[in-house]
Amino acid sequence: MKNNIIILGGGQAGIYAAREIRQNDSKSNIKILGEENSLPYERPPLSKDFLLDKKKAEDLYFHSNDVIKNENIEFENISINKVDFENKKLFAKNDNVYSYDSLLISTGSENKKLTLDNNLKNDIYYLRNLEEAKKIKEIVSNKNKITIIGGGFIGLEIASSLSQLQKKVIVIEIGNQLMGRIIPKQIADLVQNTHIEHGNEIILNKQIEKITKKNDDYEILLNDNSLIETDFIIAGIGSTPTVKLFENTNLKLDNGIVTNQFCETSIKDVYAAGDVSNFYHPFYERNMRLESYQHAQNHGICAGKNIAGVKTEYTSIPWMWSDQFNLNLQLTGICDEYDEIIERGNDINNGVIYFFLKNNKIRGACGVGIIGKVGRDIRITSKLTEKETIVDKQILSDQNLKLNKLVQK
Amino acid sequence: MSEENWIEVGSTDSIEEEDLIRFDHQDKTFCVYKLTDGFYATDGICTHEAVHLEDGLVMDDEIECPMHQGIFNIKSGEALSPPACEDLKTYPVKVDNDKIFIKID
Ligand SMILES: Cc1cc2nc3c(=O)[nH]c(=O)nc-3n(C[C@H](O)[C@H](O)[C@H](O)COP(=O)(O)OP(=O)(O)OC[C@H]3O[C@@H](n4cnc5c(N)ncnc54)[C@H](O)[C@@H]3O)c2cc1C
Ligand code: FES
Repeated sequence: MKNNIIILGGGQAGIYAAREIRQNDSKSNIKILGEENSLPYERPPLSKDFLLDKKKAEDLYFHSNDVIKNENIEFENISINKVDFENKKLFAKNDNVYSYDSLLISTGSENKKLTLDNNLKNDIYYLRNLEEAKKIKEIVSNKNKITIIGGGFIGLEIASSLSQLQKKVIVIEIGNQLMGRIIPKQIADLVQNTHIEHGNEIILNKQIEKITKKNDDYEILLNDNSLIETDFIIAGIGSTPTVKLFENTNLKLDNGIVTNQFCETSIKDVYAAGDVSNFYHPFYERNMRLESYQHAQNHGICAGKNIAGVKTEYTSIPWMWSDQFNLNLQLTGICDEYDEIIERGNDINNGVIYFFLKNNKIRGACGVGIIGKVGRDIRITSKLTEKETIVDKQILSDQNLKLNKLVQK
Repeated sequence: MSEENWIEVGSTDSIEEEDLIRFDHQDKTFCVYKLTDGFYATDGICTHEAVHLEDGLVMDDEIECPMHQGIFNIKSGEALSPPACEDLKTYPVKVDNDKIFIKID
């Protein structure tokens, strides 16, 4: 039977879902509706190699126009502003109406905004998409002292890139460590030291009281009455799932769109994947929402299979990375449910990893090291986690002993 | 092809099975692998960003980059999983008297 399949949101999860549906279903119409005037592209380089001019916009596309066309996937640049789930219709600002038999929602997430005086709204910059990255890149070329509000992954990656562009960078973080509480404090401190060694100033435990514009510059007043002078401000204070469109509908929302392990939402024939979905993970036996490259890809593929009628559970062990200066940080599994922590290594040059265990099995791990030094061990850790291997803690804690000895074939 | 193009990498027992070693020659870096059915060689740097694949994980016929988990087929060099999308160059390998040689063009 020929179906109309609509994918709302043309990002990573959306494009991987579309291609997976086509792999399993040669007949249905597949249409991606995306509000960004760009084919689906990778976001990770926006805060790193794109700012550093090592990658151009055209290097970021997942697939060329030809690949997408050859697979008979339609991409339309349009913003949807109303949904009627009962009659299976989507409405665009320009009065276009789209009917679907199956719908995938992959609208991603959006940056939280600072609550400030209205007259400063346009003075604070945020980074989520290519247009914003282009703007930031253009403006910072004429700026020297840049303040980043928020010491999360994206803020720190921008801080690392701008430092490499010879800018003076100040990072203001409200918490008592960088990158939030899921990252072990020891690892956050190692990353912080690297920023400081490269000349970045890191201010922890401080809140912003007021920002005042002084000609072309700004004065930031902190809650300890200290003043920071700066000529450009970027905020990276976290993100929320893009669900505004669904707030007055029957779609079940709770920190994103609630889905089961098959990417199905509370409404029949409506699926969700990627950053926007708060999905049930059968391995961890709980719901979670992830904002990561690997998840957007694999979750999109899983949704694509289910939409095409190939019933598939989503069981991927979470994994994400962050690159700052010459460091590569990686996180696998979940690091907030444990009864024991084991440390492997203590020198950033060889990599440092913290394993989080529950009942002698690994639930998650977080590591950082000079580029290339933690990836293999973190990858093996994902396998050990998935296989629920009872691990030999001696091997885990001794960097001279190879972790792959623990993997049962 | 002239004989000079074959460069000695080391002895066959210098690599464990399903593992790799890094081999630097002039200003280039290579990875030489021992798989269940023999020895193979590829460029030593990931095609995504400039990261040494020597720290990657060898699984069956694949090498996974330690930085972003891009995956390549070791025998064909094909990029199998994003963010890697450009193929990895491969090189012919021969074994002579328990010594591994790779042919660099
Ligand atoms: C700067 C930055 C750096 C990152 N770095 C890393 C990293 O180093 N490692 C890592 O693992 N992850 C990283 N991520 C996270 C990763 O990129 C995301 O998790 C991933 O892109 C999510 O994919 P998605 O398809 O769910 O959403 P997105 O890729 O965000 O796509 C959603 C799309 O839907 C569109 N949309 C929303 N609403 C509508 C509407 N009403 N109508 C039409 N279109 C709509 C949006 O405009 C957007 O184009 C980074 C993210 C950012 C922003
Ligand atoms: S550097 Fe190898 S996948 Fe990115």
